[in-house]
This record gives sequence, structure tokens and C-alpha cells, in this order.
Amino acid sequence: MKPQSTFEREPARRVFASELRETRYQFKDGDDEKSPTYVILPSGIRSNRIFVVGTLTEKQRQGDQNIFYRGRVVDPTGTFFIMAGSYQPEAMQQLARIEPPAFVAVVGKPNLYTTPEGNCLVSVRVESIAVVDRETRDLWVLDTARETLDRLDAFGTTDDSKKAQEEYGTQPDLYRKIVYDALTQVQL
Amino acid sequence: MNLSEVTERISRKLEAKGAQPDQQKIESRLRRLVEEFGVNVDEAERTVTGDLAREYNVTGIGSSSTELRPIHEIVPGEWVTIEGKIVALTPPVSPSIAQTGIIADSSGAIRFVTWARANAPAMEYGHWYRLESAVVDEYKGAPNLKIHSGTTISRVEEDTPLLPSITPITELKPGVGSVRAKFIQDWDASHDRMLQTGLLGDETGTIKFVIWKEEGKDKLDLDTVYNIFYATVDEYNGRLSLALNTAMYIADEGDIEVGRTETEIRGALVHIAPGSGLIKRCPVEGCNRTLSRQNYCPVHEIQPEFRYDLRIKAVLDDGIRAKNVLMQREVVEALTGITLEEAVSIAETNPLGMDEIFYRMRNTVLGRYYTCSGSEFGGRLLVNSCTPIAFEPAELAALLNRAGGEPA
Repeated sequence: MKPQSTFEREPARRVFASELRETRYQFKDGDDEKSPTYVILPSGIRSNRIFVVGTLTEKQRQGDQNIFYRGRVVDPTGTFFIMAGSYQPEAMQQLARIEPPAFVAVVGKPNLYTTPEGNCLVSVRVESIAVVDRETRDLWVLDTARETLDRLDAFGTTDDSKKAQEEYGTQPDLYRKIVYDALTQVQL
Repeated sequence: MNLSEVTERISRKLEAKGAQPDQQKIESRLRRLVEEFGVNVDEAERTVTGDLAREYNVTGIGSSSTELRPIHEIVPGEWVTIEGKIVALTPPVSPSIAQTGIIADSSGAIRFVTWARANAPAMEYGHWYRLESAVVDEYKGAPNLKIHSGTTISRVEEDTPLLPSITPITELKPGVGSVRAKFIQDWDASHDRMLQTGLLGDETGTIKFVIWKEEGKDKLDLDTVYNIFYATVDEYNGRLSLALNTAMYIADEGDIEVGRTETEIRGALVHIAPGSGLIKRCPVEGCNRTLSRQNYCPVHEIQPEFRYDLRIKAVLDDGIRAKNVLMQREVVEALTGITLEEAVSIAETNPLGMDEIFYRMRNTVLGRYYTCSGSEFGGRLLVNSCTPIAFEPAELAALLNRAGGEPA
């Protein structure tokens, strides 16, 4: 456990959509009501915040009493499902103003849901979202590729990655392929 | 003073010289002197230390510590005899203190304090003195020389020329230090009593300094090199700063290429904190606090004559660590393309007012990649420059190689 004296903000992990989609394992670090909730990413790191840049392709307003917005953000590997409700009014209003399609940068918390049919879904609860440009998207792909590869290089040597191995049976080579494919979609 | 503390100290002193004193014996002797004979504690300590030193046949402590020592060698816990020149006298902070200041010899300098109880003769600035049996202890992490009733002070008549030795900034320790440094940043005073504060730098690094308001103290001139003799080095939260009130500072010729202890971080701006954008500051000299929307300063109350400023408080995140960064007006203007004048006129004509500037700036920088460099201060990076990161095809190629591993 970290010392309580100095608060350290959780970093926003870089993760591709196809990796986040595979995420199933969630845990709480500590017994406190306010202890942070993490997911273990298949590449072997805990995360309670992620940073993604992609194309917002669709957004929808939902709910009558409790209004919230859902959106789809696409990266070279797949789709992130994002949502912003009235508990995040700033984020919700930011999302409401953005007209798809647009390149967006999203900072948010990964959340796991189990549907009544028993399927596990991962969504991203938006903390902030902003319109960016293509260059930022490309930079994000490079950044995410680098950090994913760093995690894969350390796979098996850290506690989080051992947990990932246990939960997902991660095959690092499969994820290297995903990273490679994502990179090939960036235009030179 | 607690007798067991004194016992402990005497015992340590003797142990340091190889003796094995009986603590109970020390304490009972002290108690006898203090309680039965009404001897004051300092004197009792001196007497007992001296007696035991003779009994154990050790030298160099207590009353027998007449061997002259260079100042830079002495460490807390010792009884010492030194000869030095009074290079600074500071106003005592408490009525139980008769004199405080700095005494120096050619090897170094140390802060001293003379207790009022000591009934010691006042020492004069600029003269040499021999101090016999003074105690070195530690005060706020720095060695400090205590002159008590058992200390013999005698004036040395000859005036030896004294050249302070200059310390590189990165090698300064709490206590007293002399530097040759350039005044590189003038900061707004954060306190009424502050005459000037900012950053000094030499080839090795930089350090914050303060000059408190005091009769006869002058400000430094920006971009000038100074010889600063006998400044007080304080430590706060693990960071050192120089107080120049004890120091003599003389402008020097020449220039210094300041060695920057710059930190550089690459990452994405993932959060723009409230309080960013256009803000109002308290106009009271030396205050500079941020005012609330109702122009309320926590210290100076309502200030309708505020002045505007720009800043961005944000989090720069590289995926591994999230770092708080603070950008001041020049950096914000360069980054967002909105000048202070423009921001003020937008805020005054737009229905959202100052919020409009916050939103515009947030939408310009949030989620984008930057390299920020600056100095770390209190867990936060004070940004001197912030440049957008550009896409490098070479990096893409390198990553493709890394991900591809062996060619398929």
C-alpha cells in the first residue's frame, strides 16, 4: 500500500481498444469505501484511469430522469464505449457539444458491467473529453504502442502481470501483433 | 532542563572517547549539584563532565576542551574551543537569548546563540573572539554553537584577514554558506515582511533566496553576479533556501553560465484544474494571492482594484506518472495563443466571463501531447517552456521494428 501522507494521482494508462475489451478482472485496493477500484489489463498492469485518443463515431443521449450520453470512440484496433452521466456534468456537457465524427481525447475510468445475458462489457466513464487533431491521434497510437510493448517486455516479472497471466492466460505475442497492426494503420 | 537529557549527553561524550561511564552515577552527581547546592544545570553539566573526564582520564571534552578547533570540523554534541570573527549579528528572537549571529574562521562559519542566562559579554560585529567550552548542538537541522555560562569569551586583538570559502550551490548544507551566484529570477514577494525573493544560480545549480525587510538591506539587481558571504542556509520540506539577512553581498564582475537543474517531462495534458485561465490577483504589495469571484483575498478581504493574470494548473501524464504542472502567464500566452489583454477583453464582453477563457484554453490544450521543462517545486513542475510534441516518422519505424520482432 502507498503511504497516505502524499496523495499521488493515478496515471492514465495507454491501452488499445482490443486489449481493454478483453479486460474482466476488477479489484479494490484496500477495504475502505473510498479505496480505488482497479482493473487488471491483460498486458499486465493495474489501471483505474485510462487515456485514449480516437474517432468519436456516434453519440446518443439516453435516459429521461437521469440523462446520460453514450458514445463510441474508435482506434485502429477496435471500439471504446464511453459514457458520461449527470455525476460528471462537465464531461457530459463537453460530450454533448461534440458532433461526430471527430478526433477526441478522452480521460476516464474503466468500468466493468455484466449484462443480464452474462456478457462482460467494459465501458469508460468520462472525466474529460476534448476535440483534438489527427496528429494527436497518431501520437497516441505511438505512445500506446510503446507503453504496451514496455508492459509486454516486463510481462511475468511484475505482480500485476502474474495476476494477468492467471486471469487471462495472456499470450504476449498476440498483443505484439495487435500493436504491430495498430502501427501499420498510422500513415507516414 | 531535564537532567536525564544532560546525563545522556555527558555519557555520550565520554563514550565517544572510549570510557564506559555509569549513567546512574552521572545523574546522581548532577542531581546533587542542582538540587542540593542550587547550581544551574549548565554549570552542573560542565562540572560533572570535567570531573568524570579527569576520572576516566580522557581529554578533549568538558572543561579540558581547550584545544583550538577549525569551525568546519566541529559537529553537534561536542564541546569546543574556537577562534573566530563575528561576521553577522541578528536580532534575538526571544528574551532568553542575548545574542545570535554567525562566527567564522578561515575554515568555515557557524551560527551561534548566547543565552541571556549566560551573562556573557556582548560580542561586537567585525571583531575576533576566542570561545572556550562552547557547546555544539543542532537547531533545525543545522549545527549551532551555544554560548552558556560556562563558556569563556575573550577578545582577540589582532584582526586576521578572513576570506570566506565559496561553496558550490549544489553542495550547500543547512547552516551557513557563502556563494558566488547570479540573480536570475525575481519572484513576487509572498509576504509583507519580504523585501525580495527569487532564484540564485551558479554553475552547479540554483537555489531560492529571501531577503527579509530590515534596516540597511538592499535589493539585488537582476542578472548581476554577487559574492554572498555568510548567508543562512535553511532547510524546509527537504529543500534548501538562502536567507541573505546575515550575509554581506557585493556585486561582482563577470558572468556565470547558470547550471539548470531542469526537469523535462513528456506526456499528455489529461486534466486542466479549476483556477486555470484568467484569474484575479490581490493588488496589495507582496500579497499576489488569487482572489475569489467576489474579489475576496483571504488576507486583505475585498479588493476591487485587482489585477488580472493568466495561468494554467494542469496534470501532465506520461502513462506511468501523473505530474502537477503550473504554467505562468508567458508560457500560457505562447501555448494557447491568447494574450492577457485579449483574455481580459473576451472575458469582459462574453456572457460566460472568465469561464469562457477557461473553456477556450482547456479545449486548446486538453488531451494533447507536450514536453514541459522547468523546475520542480513542492511536488509541482513550474513550467519554463512547454512545446507541442510533433509526430516523428522515425519513431513509428522504430516501434514497428520493436513490435514486429523477427520479420515474418
